[in-house]
Amino acid sequence: MADGNTGVATGANDTADLGAPLYVAWQLTNECNLACLHCIEESGPGKAFRDELDRSQIFDILGQLSANDVPYLSLSGGEPMVHPLFFDMVEQVCAGGSQLKIETNGHFLDADTCRRLKELGVKAVQVSLDGATRETFNRMRVRGDFDRAVAGIRSLHESGVPIEINYSPTRFNVHEIGAAVDLAHELGAYSFYTGRTMYTGNAVKTWHRLAPSEEQYATYFDTLRAKTLEYRGRMRVYFHEQGLLEELRYRLEHPAALLIVLPNGLVKIINALPFICGDLRRQSLGEVWNNFQQAWQDPRVAQFVADLAADPNKTSGLHRWIHL
Amino acid sequence: MKLAKYTKFREEKFGGVLFDTRSEKVFSLNPTAAALVGQLRAGCDEPGIVEHLKARFNAPEGAIEREATAFITGLQKQGLVED
Repeated sequence: MADGNTGVATGANDTADLGAPLYVAWQLTNECNLACLHCIEESGPGKAFRDELDRSQIFDILGQLSANDVPYLSLSGGEPMVHPLFFDMVEQVCAGGSQLKIETNGHFLDADTCRRLKELGVKAVQVSLDGATRETFNRMRVRGDFDRAVAGIRSLHESGVPIEINYSPTRFNVHEIGAAVDLAHELGAYSFYTGRTMYTGNAVKTWHRLAPSEEQYATYFDTLRAKTLEYRGRMRVYFHEQGLLEELRYRLEHPAALLIVLPNGLVKIINALPFICGDLRRQSLGEVWNNFQQAWQDPRVAQFVADLAADPNKTSGLHRWIHL
Repeated sequence: MKLAKYTKFREEKFGGVLFDTRSEKVFSLNPTAAALVGQLRAGCDEPGIVEHLKARFNAPEGAIEREATAFITGLQKQGLVED
């Protein structure tokens, strides 16, 4: 009866057959209280787009997501919790029956906020914790405070909100990966995610300080393999060892049923490519979904991926959008 | 039995999809499976689901019972349903 177990990344034919996306990853704002060295979105203080969606546009889109029975949303940024409509949106999404994940730096997770997230029924809160020590975390997350992020995670746990931890590797935090997985478990996380840090956004300017060597990555992934076994049945440790190119080659054949909504309503086909397939300020979700199907067949997409093989630094231009 | 907390179901032209939002895995369902999950979501027990499917789909004697039981067992193993 069930003919596949293919992840959000259903096979190309499956995705084309779907009436709407299964997952919408919505970057609410480009504004952030932190200025992380590795931020792939070029977010930071004062970095909100001038044309970010207003209340009316936001709730129109939320209504369309609900009407199309989109089962899963994530809210990220920038830092989504600095957005003035953050809780209004959480309330609407959860009340509509969709499952919601919040991706945050964890700096606004006080006890009251966490209780509210629990009461509203968010599926999970993913906190970025790029270090197992104050020194490492604060070096990478400029303006960030390790203790505040950890306190926020503890508040989530005390409130009973499911916790995911995300970890971006750099040359000065790769050695802490084992301790970071241990810390995540101690803090009550049910999942731990990591992969390779991308050469895009803020990381382009800081890459000479950030990029781990292949030798460091090899040790990093060896540690993760061991931790995966160590925590089996207690906490899921997910890591993507393959590089971006391999991932994109796969996606060309198997697009994910996922739309990336930018703070101004433009929609990307995948975060790791510069291609825009619609504008939710002017087009319906249905139109954008149809465009999405066509966009993955556009030869410029395949060409961009092919060019990446020759020039991996092309990812530095992901924020110079190409409208298909 | 009901869909697990983190399992979402949506009907599609080809049948339906089950989405485990914790693992982010998607299961494509044919029309029979989608009808079964729809009944499960509506609160039907297994005998009630089988009766509904027999009334809706033509199948050899006993086939729907066997397939429905196997499918529900699969859902349980995947953690997609709970009591």
